[in-house]
Amino acid sequence: MTAYRRARATLISLVAAAACHVATPAVAQEMLSMPSATSPSPGVFIPRVQARAYFYEESQTLLEQDVRLEYGIARDLSVSLDLPLYEGFFDDPRPSNGEFGLGDLEAIVELRVLREDLGAVDTLRGAIYAGAELPTGTGGFGSDGVDPCVGGVLTGIFGRNGFDVAARWTFVTDESPFLPTFAGTTTDDYANIDLGYAFRLYPEAYGEERVPAWYATLELNSIVTTGTEYEVLLSPGLLLEAPTYAVELGVQIPVSSDVDDAPDLRVAAVVGLRLIF
Amino acid sequence: MKQVLSWNRGNSSLHFAVQSRDIATTLRIALLSTTLALSGCATTPDAANSASSDSISLGAVDTASTLTPGKYALVVFGMSCPKCISNVDLQLAKITGVAHPKVDMKHGIVTIEVIGPEQPSREALFRAIGDAGFTLREIRTLKTSEAKP
Repeated sequence: MTAYRRARATLISLVAAAACHVATPAVAQEMLSMPSATSPSPGVFIPRVQARAYFYEESQTLLEQDVRLEYGIARDLSVSLDLPLYEGFFDDPRPSNGEFGLGDLEAIVELRVLREDLGAVDTLRGAIYAGAELPTGTGGFGSDGVDPCVGGVLTGIFGRNGFDVAARWTFVTDESPFLPTFAGTTTDDYANIDLGYAFRLYPEAYGEERVPAWYATLELNSIVTTGTEYEVLLSPGLLLEAPTYAVELGVQIPVSSDVDDAPDLRVAAVVGLRLIF
Repeated sequence: MKQVLSWNRGNSSLHFAVQSRDIATTLRIALLSTTLALSGCATTPDAANSASSDSISLGAVDTASTLTPGKYALVVFGMSCPKCISNVDLQLAKITGVAHPKVDMKHGIVTIEVIGPEQPSREALFRAIGDAGFTLREIRTLKTSEAKP
């Protein structure tokens, strides 16, 4: 119970810290737990802070604060840096008793290869990306090698409906990349395959006023390794998006998994904030 | 697809480039058709016409190379979320002589006012909207008596 109280307190502090980042204008119609084919404009910074809490069987918990910076280099070219921070409340030998550490820094270059604006609101966009997870992890939350990755994502928005399809392949080059969904490590290459749907709850139709939009989101996030371990998560969420900020709130519920030597994930919660500079 | 084509040309593989372009075009058309059919999409192929019948009264299409002082309506496609407004504001703010942008997402119209001695070029506006992440279809004058600030 002590671990849970500490986990809750830490999560609250992380969310409060994220909220304090609010300063200026902001955001994008993106899913909570998968990439979207959206890119910052040239010269524009988009910081994104997400706090996640993973609750596993036997009262084991992992807290994650993910800080992501995107920057638009050119109209269809952007770069991003993503650094997770972890606090673990696992049983031994995994990080326990609130051990804290950095995760692996992920550096990605994204190229938008498709942009078909079909109407006032309707659009279809596609992007491909490549990058690597760099061995910056500490405290058992990172890896010892550079793990390259490639991926692609397709985003369609038609009226009140938004669709996302994404796939990514990560080449594991060392013995211990840290994956929260597996509560630890895998030595196999792995793929992420994600499907997402967003429905605009409000406003029913856009007008001339600058009103925030509310979206209900539903994602299917999956990870599968070449060693046949896999996990599929159903991720409902709520997204509030305004011209100057976006707030996201959601949960992730396992629907199917086959994971070796790791505690089963019961549920994960996510709170996020995105800004634009 | 443009990037893929330019890479192909850079490798001097003209025949392969032509083939790739055909394949890419075919794939793009098939993808668009499938997506639109699946979504039951009723797109707005002429936002300007729908806008003119509603709250904004548009004038003639302006094709001059530079915009003289006055009010204009930019017919923009692809502005699908509130964030788009910020992107448009940020990019238009870089153009000297453009003031008071106002985004009507319902109709895909961005109204602007051209002021001062600087006369922004059409090219600058197309570039700015493109950099914001959207497609500028055309620029129209706003009828003075019905123009909105």
